[in-house]
Amino acid sequence: MRTESPIARFWSEFRESRIAVAALIVVVMMIGVALLAPLIAPQNPYDLANLVLSDARRPPGYVGSSGYTHWLGTDAQGRDLLSAILYGLRISLQMGLVAGTFAFAIGVTLGIAAAYLGGRREAFIMRVIDLQLAFPAILLALVISALLGQGKAQLIAALVAAQYAYFARTAHGAASAERGKDYVEAALSTPLPARQVIWRHILPNCLPPLIVVATVQVANAIALEATLSFLGVGLPVTEPSLGSLIANGFQYMLSGRYWISIYPGLALILLIVAINLVGDQIRDQVNPRLKR
Amino acid sequence: MLTHVIERILQALVVMLVMSALVFVGVYAIGNPIDVLIGPDVSQDIRLDTIARYGLDKPLWEQYFTFLGRVLHGDFGRSFVFGMPVLELILSRLPATLELTLAAVFGAALIGIPAGIYAGYRPDSPLSKLIMALSILGFSVPTFWIGLVLIMTFAVELQWLPAGGRGETAALFGVQWSFLTLNGLSHLFLPALNLAFFKLALMTRLARAGTREVMLTDTVKFARAAGISEGVILRRHVLRLISIPLVTVFGLEFASTLAFAVVTETIFSWPGIGKLIIDSIQSLDRPVMVAYLMLVAFVFIMINFLVDLTYFALDPRLRKGRA
Amino acid sequence: MSTGSAAAPLLEVRDLTTQFLTRAGVVKAVDGVSFCLRRGEVMGLVGESGSGKSVTGFSIIGLIDPPGRVAGGSVKLEGHELVGLSPDELRKLRGRVVSMVFQDPLMTLNPVLTIGEQIRLAIEAHQPVSAAEARQRAIAGLAQVRIPRPEATVDFYPHQLSGGMRQRVAIAIALLHRPRLIICDEPTTALDVSIQAEILAEMKELVAELGTALIWISHDLATVASIAQHVAVMRLGKIVEAGPTLDVLTRPQHAYTRALLDALPSRAKPGELLLRGGGVPDAAPPARKPAAIAAAPVPGAPYFIAERVSKRFETRPSALRGLGQKLGFVQPLPAVMAVDEVSLTVPRGEALGLVGESGSGKSTLGRMAAGIYAPSSGTVRFEGWPVMSEGQGPKKLTTRIQTIFQDPFASLNPRMRIGAGIAEGPLAHGLVSKADSAVYVRDWLAAVGLDPAFADRYPHQFSGGQRQRVAIARALAMQPDLVVCDEPVASLDVSIQAQIINLLMRLRAELGLTLIFISHDLSVVRHLCDRVAVMYRGRIVEEGPAGQVYDNPQHDYTKRLLAAVPVLPEAAA
Repeated sequence: MRTESPIARFWSEFRESRIAVAALIVVVMMIGVALLAPLIAPQNPYDLANLVLSDARRPPGYVGSSGYTHWLGTDAQGRDLLSAILYGLRISLQMGLVAGTFAFAIGVTLGIAAAYLGGRREAFIMRVIDLQLAFPAILLALVISALLGQGKAQLIAALVAAQYAYFARTAHGAASAERGKDYVEAALSTPLPARQVIWRHILPNCLPPLIVVATVQVANAIALEATLSFLGVGLPVTEPSLGSLIANGFQYMLSGRYWISIYPGLALILLIVAINLVGDQIRDQVNPRLKR
Repeated sequence: MLTHVIERILQALVVMLVMSALVFVGVYAIGNPIDVLIGPDVSQDIRLDTIARYGLDKPLWEQYFTFLGRVLHGDFGRSFVFGMPVLELILSRLPATLELTLAAVFGAALIGIPAGIYAGYRPDSPLSKLIMALSILGFSVPTFWIGLVLIMTFAVELQWLPAGGRGETAALFGVQWSFLTLNGLSHLFLPALNLAFFKLALMTRLARAGTREVMLTDTVKFARAAGISEGVILRRHVLRLISIPLVTVFGLEFASTLAFAVVTETIFSWPGIGKLIIDSIQSLDRPVMVAYLMLVAFVFIMINFLVDLTYFALDPRLRKGRA
Repeated sequence: MSTGSAAAPLLEVRDLTTQFLTRAGVVKAVDGVSFCLRRGEVMGLVGESGSGKSVTGFSIIGLIDPPGRVAGGSVKLEGHELVGLSPDELRKLRGRVVSMVFQDPLMTLNPVLTIGEQIRLAIEAHQPVSAAEARQRAIAGLAQVRIPRPEATVDFYPHQLSGGMRQRVAIAIALLHRPRLIICDEPTTALDVSIQAEILAEMKELVAELGTALIWISHDLATVASIAQHVAVMRLGKIVEAGPTLDVLTRPQHAYTRALLDALPSRAKPGELLLRGGGVPDAAPPARKPAAIAAAPVPGAPYFIAERVSKRFETRPSALRGLGQKLGFVQPLPAVMAVDEVSLTVPRGEALGLVGESGSGKSTLGRMAAGIYAPSSGTVRFEGWPVMSEGQGPKKLTTRIQTIFQDPFASLNPRMRIGAGIAEGPLAHGLVSKADSAVYVRDWLAAVGLDPAFADRYPHQFSGGQRQRVAIARALAMQPDLVVCDEPVASLDVSIQAQIINLLMRLRAELGLTLIFISHDLSVVRHLCDRVAVMYRGRIVEEGPAGQVYDNPQHDYTKRLLAAVPVLPEAAA
């Protein structure tokens, strides 16, 4: 019998689901494409010099005045839609990942601290978090966005404020459960310093449910950002995310120019579905109640 | 039980008070409402007069207490934009949102729960896999995009259903409802479907997860050993056991659907409170924003309270201790 | 179904084979099992975990869940073949002709349905019945299994009943349709020994009264001996030995049966190595460092003492209730006194056994002795020094008391290599240098009988017995003087249990350890301990030298406890 780390075992189980592996590949590819957007996009959609008004709202396959084919058509400003999608993907992913990371860090710190401290402090922290969870995330983000104005940093702040509580609650639940387990009691009764117990014992064992929440929340952050941008309180038009691209195309939809909204939408959905599929597989794998 | 109820009511009051302060301070930090109230070309006198009339020259805390005092009398102020009492304005829009939300949530539950139980009962059947694939899609696709696709497909291309508005309404209890007329129903269908999509996926996944877990327990195995048929096991044992998490989510989702109606109402031009709040955020109509947020908070607290009471009905373990 | 002739066996199992498709390939959980059972006969099916005894039971009544399936053989009940019947045909037999009782009544009954509703569903499964009639039959069924006040109990929910009562309800459901055969899968394993004795006695009477045949599946030879006329011993999916109970247990033919009997501490002299010394490694534990960090003992202080310690578990009142209590409107909620003013001393080098049933407070007392819980009142001192600091967030002050826990699956951090787990405590307290820690860990692994190369592995790669060895190494690597063992062998099979007991005895002798050994198993305690303290409802009711307490108990509770333990028939010389 070889040494098999929990991560290796996890991966070998994960590999058994072909759908999840395919989804993971899609996620990785989309991240890659987003990173490389400036290199592989046919056009820089932010460069106003590239935009020709007569090229605006052309259907897919249209050969533009500059001589190359717009495979996915052009948008209302005459931007190549494929390029706009690649850049939009970049912004959407950036928002989702940055917001997710901050929300994770803040939420997990609060949740684990509450579980470890116990008593009044735990009750207070969790009361505030429950209060916030009782308020719909979208409204919170909407109000905060309206409050702070448009811009990347403001949007991230709104997303983090709307999402950290989910991490906090999950971390609190997991850490409370782990706190009562024998191996933590064993560590405490050795005795080991509190810091070591938290970092080496409690935190690593809280990670599985947190990873599940993280995948869902990154997907949610991307969707939420798109929704806010669609409602006009997200990112400015100069930095279009996938959501703002869809919003911009909405008004042309009724006149049959479907591509301006539909293609960015498909890219968005592909990304979110892939992330959720990966999250789903992880969720099934870490659910102890499904193990026989 | 009684102490529990009293405690929850006290708690709710505290929460509402905190909420009102947060909302008031938050909303009053946005923009300058004077620009909304009067044109840029009016004289300085009128400007100062308006500021004084709306009490905007007083310190914030004083404004808050004036506001709080009025709220206790049911007066949320007048809308800057519509010029009518806010409460009246919101109540006139509420039925539209209520009927949309109820249609979406109940539709989602009626379809999602059976589908989820089936998918959890036979996790490997092709139909279950299809249900799960659809639920992943419904869970992932942003509501606003589905709305666009629905409009494009059924309203623009096929021209089966209208793309927006409430259509004809009929009165019931002195309130106008769309679902009472055929034309109104046809207007209600697409937005309700749009709003239901996410809930449907959520209910399905939750029911499936619960069913899968319960099916592996000894409770089910013991029922089988007693010769109880699969149908009875699903209806009497499994449904009762998974109903507790389902009710929680049903309640919370009802409230968050009310909030998410913002998106659907914007797309389908549905004249409900969601559309109202978006418009008032854009036009900085403070009194409407404050009243709306407090209403949502109130609804949330009420629903949480009801969910709590339902727990007591559903889970005997919470009712009393060992005999 | 026809009744068949009286001479024909009720149940005839031939070459029964049940397979499970796993990631590692096809596993034969039951591998060609054959036996017969006559009407009204009681057969015991004995084996360790993984022997296939439970799967055999489930195979008979057709309740094998995928990915498992009955792959071959035949099960004839009253001459009718059951293997190959459709799911619905099988369902119609279950509960009516053959029924089953499971191990844990807390898991089998539905927590959100009343007892009456659950019984009604079981009746309706085979015959239509009116609500009033169902209720009458439910009450009669509960009365039959000696449940007091059945008219009230019928409206209870499972959580309102004790474990023994819940199991009686499950038995009542199994008996509803007067089946010809009941299969009981470890029905008393989750229960205390006194409840087990009651259920065993009642079950014996019931099957005699109703003429029902019974298959009693258990890991415990003694309970089987007290109820079954015939016994079959299973190992790795096969029956290795079968026959009349008395013959098998007193004149075992198969080596495995003999080994099972040899592993029982109740059949050995106290302090003697079990299994002829099996499971004891040759390697000696690493040398101890001189106790440089230990404070000098307080002169005249006892070695270990717990003075009038109590542990209250309070349900924290809600804000409103708390206010009400302060103002005197509301009575405070009663606190649960897990341990109630217990005093205890342990001299150096002694092994003290702490016995009691669940809820007696023995584990809580052990955890206070080990410095895991701070007492609500009273103090625990080691060589005169307090074990825990006082005040908010109490901390343990000494490394010289260590703990071995019951469940080795829970007591090892699943995400840490076992070597790192063993080394981290000694490293944190300077018992070993970073450079020497790898060798130190390897030496300890060898000393508990594990391959030193296993240090890089994770807990999930070990069996239960191996994990318990790791847990022992981790505790002892801290070089303690006193070790609190909280049911360290309770979740292990008898043969593994015997090896761990051997290992503990040897390490104790070699290292001169003082032990506080907590167990519900009276025979294990007698085997290992010099002195015994019997706990009941948070108090120590009797304490004394092991031999004296066992042979001449003074307190009523001790007498009842000892009488409830099932005994094996004496081996023929």
